[in-house]
Amino acid sequence: MTRQIDGPGFSRRDFLRLGSIAFGLNLPTLLGASGRGDTSCIIFFQNGGMSQLDGFDPKPDAPLEIRGTLGTIPTAVPGVHFTELLPRCAKALNEYSLIRSVYSDQAIHEKAKQYIYSGAKPGNDLKHPVYGSVVAKEQGARNGMPPFVVIPRKDIAAEAGFIGSAYDPFITGDPNQKNFSVKDLTLPTGVALEEAQGRAKLLSALDAELEAIESSPLVDSMDYFYQKAIDLVSSPVAKKAFDISQEPDALRDSYGRNSAGQGALLARRLIESGVRLVTVFHGGYDTHTDNEEINKTLYPVFDQAFVALLDDLRQRGLLDTTLVIALGEFGRTPKVNYSAGRDHWPGVFPVVMAGAGIPGGQVIGSSDARGGEPKDRPVSIEDLGATIFKKLGIDYTKDYHANGRPVKINKDGTPIKELFV
Amino acid sequence: MRGPLAWNVARVIGVLLACAGVPAFAGNGWVSIQFEPPGIVLQGAGASQKYIVTARDDQAHQADVTGSVDLAVVSSNPEIVAVDRDKGTLVGHAPGRATIEISFGDVKTSVPIEVRDQSHEMTVSFSRDVMSILTTKGCNGSACHGSPAGQNGFKLSLFGYDVAADHKMVVAENDGRRVDFDSPEESLLLQKPSFEVAHGGGQLMTPESDAYRTLLAWLEQRAPLDSDGPRMERLEMYPRERIIVRLERRQPLVVVGRFSDGSTRDMSDEVRFAVDNEAVVSSPDTSGVVTSKGRGLTTVMARAVGKVATSQMIVIDAASGMEHIETPENNFIDGHIFNKLGQVNIAPYPLASDRMFIRRVFLDAAGRLPSPGEIEEFLDDPRTDKRGRLIDHLLDSPDYTSHWLVKFEDWFRNHQYNSQGRTNASFKKWIRQMVEEDWPYDETVRQLQTSTGDTTVHPAGNFWHPAMDFMLRTFEPRKITPTVTRLFLGVKLDCAECHNHPLENLTQDDFYGMAAFFTRLKVKHGYGQYRRIWYDERRGELLHPVTKEPVAPRFLDGTTPDIPERADRREVLADWITKTQKLQFARATANKVWAEYFGRGLVDPPDDFRSTNMPTHPDLLDELARHFIDSGFRFSELHRVILNSRTYQLSSRDPSRDSEPDRLGEMLYDRYVPRKLPAEVMLDSIVQVTGVAHRFGNYPLGTSSKDVVATNGPDYFLTVFGFPRRDILAQRDKSPSLSQALHMMNSDTIRGKVEADQNVLTDLLDQDLDDQAIVSHVFERAYAREPTPAQWASISRFIADEQQAGRTRRRALENMLWAVLNSKEFQLNQ
Repeated sequence: MTRQIDGPGFSRRDFLRLGSIAFGLNLPTLLGASGRGDTSCIIFFQNGGMSQLDGFDPKPDAPLEIRGTLGTIPTAVPGVHFTELLPRCAKALNEYSLIRSVYSDQAIHEKAKQYIYSGAKPGNDLKHPVYGSVVAKEQGARNGMPPFVVIPRKDIAAEAGFIGSAYDPFITGDPNQKNFSVKDLTLPTGVALEEAQGRAKLLSALDAELEAIESSPLVDSMDYFYQKAIDLVSSPVAKKAFDISQEPDALRDSYGRNSAGQGALLARRLIESGVRLVTVFHGGYDTHTDNEEINKTLYPVFDQAFVALLDDLRQRGLLDTTLVIALGEFGRTPKVNYSAGRDHWPGVFPVVMAGAGIPGGQVIGSSDARGGEPKDRPVSIEDLGATIFKKLGIDYTKDYHANGRPVKINKDGTPIKELFV
Repeated sequence: MRGPLAWNVARVIGVLLACAGVPAFAGNGWVSIQFEPPGIVLQGAGASQKYIVTARDDQAHQADVTGSVDLAVVSSNPEIVAVDRDKGTLVGHAPGRATIEISFGDVKTSVPIEVRDQSHEMTVSFSRDVMSILTTKGCNGSACHGSPAGQNGFKLSLFGYDVAADHKMVVAENDGRRVDFDSPEESLLLQKPSFEVAHGGGQLMTPESDAYRTLLAWLEQRAPLDSDGPRMERLEMYPRERIIVRLERRQPLVVVGRFSDGSTRDMSDEVRFAVDNEAVVSSPDTSGVVTSKGRGLTTVMARAVGKVATSQMIVIDAASGMEHIETPENNFIDGHIFNKLGQVNIAPYPLASDRMFIRRVFLDAAGRLPSPGEIEEFLDDPRTDKRGRLIDHLLDSPDYTSHWLVKFEDWFRNHQYNSQGRTNASFKKWIRQMVEEDWPYDETVRQLQTSTGDTTVHPAGNFWHPAMDFMLRTFEPRKITPTVTRLFLGVKLDCAECHNHPLENLTQDDFYGMAAFFTRLKVKHGYGQYRRIWYDERRGELLHPVTKEPVAPRFLDGTTPDIPERADRREVLADWITKTQKLQFARATANKVWAEYFGRGLVDPPDDFRSTNMPTHPDLLDELARHFIDSGFRFSELHRVILNSRTYQLSSRDPSRDSEPDRLGEMLYDRYVPRKLPAEVMLDSIVQVTGVAHRFGNYPLGTSSKDVVATNGPDYFLTVFGFPRRDILAQRDKSPSLSQALHMMNSDTIRGKVEADQNVLTDLLDQDLDDQAIVSHVFERAYAREPTPAQWASISRFIADEQQAGRTRRRALENMLWAVLNSKEFQLNQ
């Protein structure tokens, strides 16, 4: 039977030992974790799998049924071309590194997403924690902000797995909506902080009886989230951080007035306020039919949002301390199918990485003539994971525990040396 | 009804003897011994078979005595088969039959042994035997030769999905340098994995191992693709289950393969072992012995040649020191549960009080809280069978119908978004009728499986909707296949779509064979954008993705039905599921219902029956299944038998035990484990306690959340508390979250009801009641009980403090109500 560790992954006794943490700013990490973690992370997730041939890795010399009908454009790096759907990324290539030889072996969305989002192959009995959850556990909260945030909706791949649901991400909702605000983040109007404190104390008294008798992971979990909710509500930083309306219209326009663009902008805001890892899920890439038609409107959205994000971070002096990644769970088939679509293809696909000391203008690895397999410098998902963990200052070689066994969150991945200069 | 005997005496003696290092249950004397594996047929002279011997006392406690000095194992004819006591094996010497006499103290038994003539060669098949070795040794895994580029020019299909290509790769590719028929031992196929030559994958087998010998035999037979010789059909592990008393105790394991010609082979040295939870028992050492490490229940798995065998291990400490009282049984469920608890020295919790029981059974059967009036009536009822009567009453109520129809909407995926409005509502109505009228489930499944027509008029066809491709234009047989097998048979086929399942024997061919039953179902889009009309085209084939050949419909057991040319294939499948596979169909269904009541299935996760996921109580599951079948597949009978069991009615608390939870006890149902309320029940309960209806679009106020069809998506409250996406067969998310805590704390939903001008507080204040009476009434509504003295003290102090701070009495009571709704006791079903 599958045995996961439910609940927060620590006991209420640890809680009580640290004293009351309600209504406090600058929370210490709950387990006294040692990772200080100065580098934050934003992941732009191309949900469904972006096509390498229609984006970052076109093959203009391949037969028509492989290359498609899109044109190619030069980039800031001589000899390197993208398709015409990514003009801004092409011009901005000097600001990031592009890896063209990443490969996976998972072809089902759920498994492939879990794989690339955690750096560990999904097993039948074990769900590995995604990067954000590991960061949340090892580095804890900062400024009373949730350490791991997902925009805009819960994704089945974005879970803490065996390290416990306490490290699941906080979900914001869609920042592109009119009058966006994160639900329930503030006390109801008319309820003053002092009144809220008072009734929270009564609540503790009411819960005391049950908690004395019932010490289960479920009760511990509920308790944990309740405390975290109080922290969030009492943090003046949090309310402001989620309030995207404070951004000037011109800036909001420059990211693009859509979920992806506004999501990237909100991500920047959240990083500034202390969130450690934000993921923006941008959907629609799963183009089994009418691939080019869809991509013509979809990829420019990414193109605009991603470059706007890089520029914004740089202008605020945040790029050096923020790792920025764009990836999807796999690529798409080199050969176009009978519905003018491309299907799932983990054989080879590109990943973009920027910030946190990553050099610009670098293309790492290449794919073969039809964009199907890595040709040189293949990069495994484990290598990607090792790279991300290393950039974020996380020890990915130590043992965790699940199902009564020691388990590693990264199996023999090697950090990509070209990204550490 | 019989109950388990008192355990106290045996336990005390057991403790004393355990301290003396003797098997813990010697006190009552051994009454039987068992020699395993049974039915040994050695394949020839030189063949050997490991054995184990288990002794049982008169209370069915077991102990391994294989190495005991008091054990005698003697062959009646050592010229045919001899016993090697040191190694614990039988060794064949000459063809013939003999008997092995086993005695342990006064207890004796004997088993017949046959030794065959080895000249009968075992032929090796590539597609079965070699492929299995390539899989179990990891050769065709994704990190090695199964990776997209293979390794070193040797590329195998991932987990062996393309047998023909793999055969070609091994035998013909690279100028056939991997196989050498003149000197088979020189074949690279042998030299690499045995590390005779450098191999990036390391040494995976020794020349003495069975895998090596199998490959060698195959090469000697000139590497055929298939063969007709005797093949291994089954792998078995002994003991099948064992309760180990005390830690650091050793238990030997034996694995035997049974062949198509009736012979057996010792596989103990050839299998790859894995243990589900190594905190309970260690992984088997090189001689196949596990050591008990910690209290708990786990499964040991052994894999070889594409087959799996399992054994359930339970480890308990020496006597837990519990005072045992005789436990009455209400029905067969209790018999199984308490029997197993008895075997592991765990006493079930006391029976839940009437107050605890009434709140729980209302929430579980009818999805709502009992009103103070209903509670009082129940408490005052003097009849001894009042619980059974309450259960009958609830199962007859419209609330039960609404509550359980939501669960079936989850099962059948009444997806809110794809179908839109009319069809959602029509499906919900159909499901409501099914629950209300207690339709036989086999009939329901048949209707779902064979449904056609316009889904606004023929609602069962909504079952197909989530299997349409994402652009909502065509129906995808490959999407419905895993849903059907999971929902009706509890079998997960998902991985098999692309490649063979690495742990079980499901293959891509199984997947496509099942998908072929749905390939002729088509959909037309009717008048109005979301109107869909399903029809069976009676022609057309599904093409295999690798071979491109048409796939004939094939059941999961491998049989291909004879389907008349124009028949509806789905009818044939429905028959197979509900009739041929009746027992598994009933097991999977009963297990899902059990999981609804207990928070976990007897097989858990519930939709994932496989040989590596054994039920905790296999006999109970079978009896529940047969009960379901005998009742005519009626859910009402399942509900009745479960709710009436003492097991279901056990308390969640026992003041005489310490509060550290006993995970093993919980897995064996020693108590009712508190669980979160499902989203709809939570919302409806908040409405009940506060007395303020929730607004659902244009529905009349007072409508339950369960009866709402939300065409624009479910209410935010429901989403936050786990309302599922019904396009895939996911379980509801039962975990707590930060968003839930924030919502209960700050949302307008809660605030609105707590502060409403007309709510429960208004009514109570209008009656001029004092604080204590008001608080008592709120507690009765929310918790089915009075506040404890400590709680009342906290509350009255709070009300005083609130008024000190300048707030009104009403406001103080509102804040008290807020705290009640936010309390864990309210949000949990205990």
